[in-house]
Amino acid sequence: MEFKDYYQALGVPRDAPVDEIKKAYRKLARKYHPDVSKEKDAEARMKEVNEAYAVLSDPEKRAAYDQVGKGYQPGQEFRPPPDWDSGFEYSGSGFSGQEAADFSDFFSELFGRMGTGRGTAHARGGDHHARIALDIEDAFTGATRQISLRAPKIDSSGRVTLDTRTLNVKIPKGIREGQIIRLAGQGDPGLGEGTRGDLLLEVQFRGHPRYRADGRDLLVELPVAPWEAALGAVVPVDVPDGILKVRIPAGAQSGRQLRVRERGIPGDPAGDLLLEIRIVVPEASTPKAKELYETMARELAFDPRAQAGARP
Amino acid sequence: MSDRDIIAGSVLDGAALTVDQVCAVCSIEQEWIVRRVEEGLLEVSGTSVTEWRFSSAHLRRAQRMRALERDFDAGPELAALMADMLDEMDELRARLRRAGLG
Repeated sequence: MEFKDYYQALGVPRDAPVDEIKKAYRKLARKYHPDVSKEKDAEARMKEVNEAYAVLSDPEKRAAYDQVGKGYQPGQEFRPPPDWDSGFEYSGSGFSGQEAADFSDFFSELFGRMGTGRGTAHARGGDHHARIALDIEDAFTGATRQISLRAPKIDSSGRVTLDTRTLNVKIPKGIREGQIIRLAGQGDPGLGEGTRGDLLLEVQFRGHPRYRADGRDLLVELPVAPWEAALGAVVPVDVPDGILKVRIPAGAQSGRQLRVRERGIPGDPAGDLLLEIRIVVPEASTPKAKELYETMARELAFDPRAQAGARP
Repeated sequence: MSDRDIIAGSVLDGAALTVDQVCAVCSIEQEWIVRRVEEGLLEVSGTSVTEWRFSSAHLRRAQRMRALERDFDAGPELAALMADMLDEMDELRARLRRAGLG
């Protein structure tokens, strides 16, 4: 296990007062905040910075870290002394279990006894929350997906270690983004006779080059040729559960939406399929194509900018 | 993998999480949630605390506000305003991505 230099992570000297640590943390939190940061490794850096701050902002943890870290260089192989944490009892860090689960092994080795910061009056185990990334197609067919979760676990000597669990979860057909799959009894173990908490999985869809879900509806872009749009046509469309034949009305324009009822995400009621028409213009790359375009230009009295307001 | 190893859960639709569940997931005190709901900074459905139900979007917002308050020592109102702006940015980024510009 590598020694982590938390002072270096925050860019403060070892004797920095609490205020300076706080200031340095806020500056870095702004720089690496995953919602706004333009830095490439923002998320990883934010985790490091959070971890360093969780230790250095807490006088008990900082004292313990200073004591054990004497003489270590960052990256150096680290082994804590066998009885190192006797006499320390850590309170909460202000970070949620989910965030603390992202902290390094070095952190959990040192501060394994850290509580979650909540009262433990309830005998029932805590509920956990995680996100599960699915493909939109899973909503049409149903699926079984494997997820790995890191969660703190208390061993026989009362230390908390990070435990990786793998679960195979059944994804029901008709699942939608934002829904939560509750797995009863897969959360924290209860105290004494208390039952285990639940695991709450929040469903997110991965990005797809053609499909996009909006609640129950499925939005699909439909590229069409200019003559299909002008004359109308029946065209095949690939959808997650097969191929649909769709009638394009004559005179369809780019951006127009065609609604096919109840062919969206299955359910009761099923969602709709929304096809967004995009007219794709063939290149005038051959003499024949050029000739056809020139004929149209000559013989069709067409000005696309003729509508009111379209001409600058 | 045998069928026995596959866990089937129940699907919670819309606003379905209780205040206890949200507290557990975000590691926050109930009082923190109650204050922000009462001040209108966090939306919820239901009238009394025991009837309150939160959706996953509410949950994400609570986590976001909590992190902003903690990371920047921000007041609840400022954190809520920032969360509004970040929500809006998410929405705009999603629209850019859909338009193939993101």
